[in-house]
Amino acid sequence: MNATRLFQFISARLSGRRLDWTLVGIALLLAVLPARFLAPWTSDVARIVSVPIVPLMHLGMATRDAIRPPREAFDHRAPEVIALEMQAEAARTLFEQSRLRVEALEREVSSLKGIRSQLGSSAVQLETATVVGIDPTRREGLVRINVGARHGVHRDSVVILGGDIFGGLVVNDPTEFVSIVRPALKCTLSVRLYPAEGVDPARDPKLLQGTVLKPSEGGVWTGDIASELAIREGEIARLTDERYGSVAKGLRVGRVRRILPNEQVPGARIVEVEPFALLVDESTVIVAMEPPEKRQEP
Amino acid sequence: MRWSIYILACLVAVAADASIGGILKIGSVQPRFLPSVVVFALFAAPRIHAMRLALLAGVLADLLSPVVRVDGTQLVVIGPWTLGFALGALAAVPLRSLLYHRNPISGGFAVMVFSLLASVVFVAIWMIRLLILRDELPSWWPGTGASEVWQQGKVALASAVVGIPTIWFLDKTRVVWGFSTAKRVVPGAARELA
Repeated sequence: MNATRLFQFISARLSGRRLDWTLVGIALLLAVLPARFLAPWTSDVARIVSVPIVPLMHLGMATRDAIRPPREAFDHRAPEVIALEMQAEAARTLFEQSRLRVEALEREVSSLKGIRSQLGSSAVQLETATVVGIDPTRREGLVRINVGARHGVHRDSVVILGGDIFGGLVVNDPTEFVSIVRPALKCTLSVRLYPAEGVDPARDPKLLQGTVLKPSEGGVWTGDIASELAIREGEIARLTDERYGSVAKGLRVGRVRRILPNEQVPGARIVEVEPFALLVDESTVIVAMEPPEKRQEP
Repeated sequence: MRWSIYILACLVAVAADASIGGILKIGSVQPRFLPSVVVFALFAAPRIHAMRLALLAGVLADLLSPVVRVDGTQLVVIGPWTLGFALGALAAVPLRSLLYHRNPISGGFAVMVFSLLASVVFVAIWMIRLLILRDELPSWWPGTGASEVWQQGKVALASAVVGIPTIWFLDKTRVVWGFSTAKRVVPGAARELA
């Protein structure tokens, strides 16, 4: 009875705005209650309230799954997925092949530009060639390249590696599409030795040490030095040989690896020069062909 | 006004927020349908019911957004969204006079204002709990309150966009809600002549 009266009293007092602010006050009180007072009962209330929502949520989830299927439905082993993955891999391979090809072409263009700038306005013809084989029947280690008379290649055409390295010399009268090259390492070369750090332009080039390099065991050249001019390891050997034409002059050949005393000639020395690059290690080379009027017979 | 319809609409909106709403999620921003329902009711129901409408929806939002505690249990705090919705209602009700309240675009704007104010209060209540009680961490921890307000601002904007078609749809069901359409009759010369 008292409870009924209390309820009637409260409902008579609480209406309109007063009820609203009372509810706000209760909400504020609940909002700042410590967790230990809320935890025992609010979770239960939430569970009860969620009961009517669960079927609606199931319906919503079904609709969502229909519109956007869950990722778990994706079968990684499905044949079409495997086929697509294989196609993607093939496309990646093609892409990487193209990139490597572009890289090789850029290298080729760069070395052609480099050689062309060295040659200036001379009428030397340049041709890119691929090393297609090493002749196993000859001790000279001759190398075949895939350019020949059809491309303008002639005997004594110079083969250049890496832009400015003497790679060898065409030694035959080429066939239409193939030429045979003697690698630089099998040639006797007249060279001059330059300091690695560069040369003072004012210095007379005749003061630089010259020598004739001969093929030696172990993939190096050796040359005799009779003068007492100072030589250091690491100096760069550049071609000065008149036999190889103007195109080859000044090309780099190798680096001084060792300086040894010549035991047979007191006071003389022997330099050991290692090549910068080997023709057999290259896949692409450049062949420089001088015009007929400029060719010189060795 | 039929309260049963309002409660049902709130339940449907809450269920939609928890299920189908994920489709509308852009990045970390998921719009909510519940503010649209509340704003629609606030715009159409008698003013005297406005605060109670908002408080009821706020309690529902609080009950269905528990915080996971460190020990893995969940804690439901009733109040942050309840008070937030109450403040949102205090701001939205005056807009009835300023906006053409049956226009869905006006409704969308009101939803944004409502959601923004509600989220500010929500963050403020949790900051108070954090500073005074130090017993539970808010759901956005270890982010800052400002970043949460910014995030909720984006949610408010998204809710406003979703609110435009939602309010348009709810307006089509106006008859079911049983809102009073009686107009106040003002005595005047024409009436006296009649």
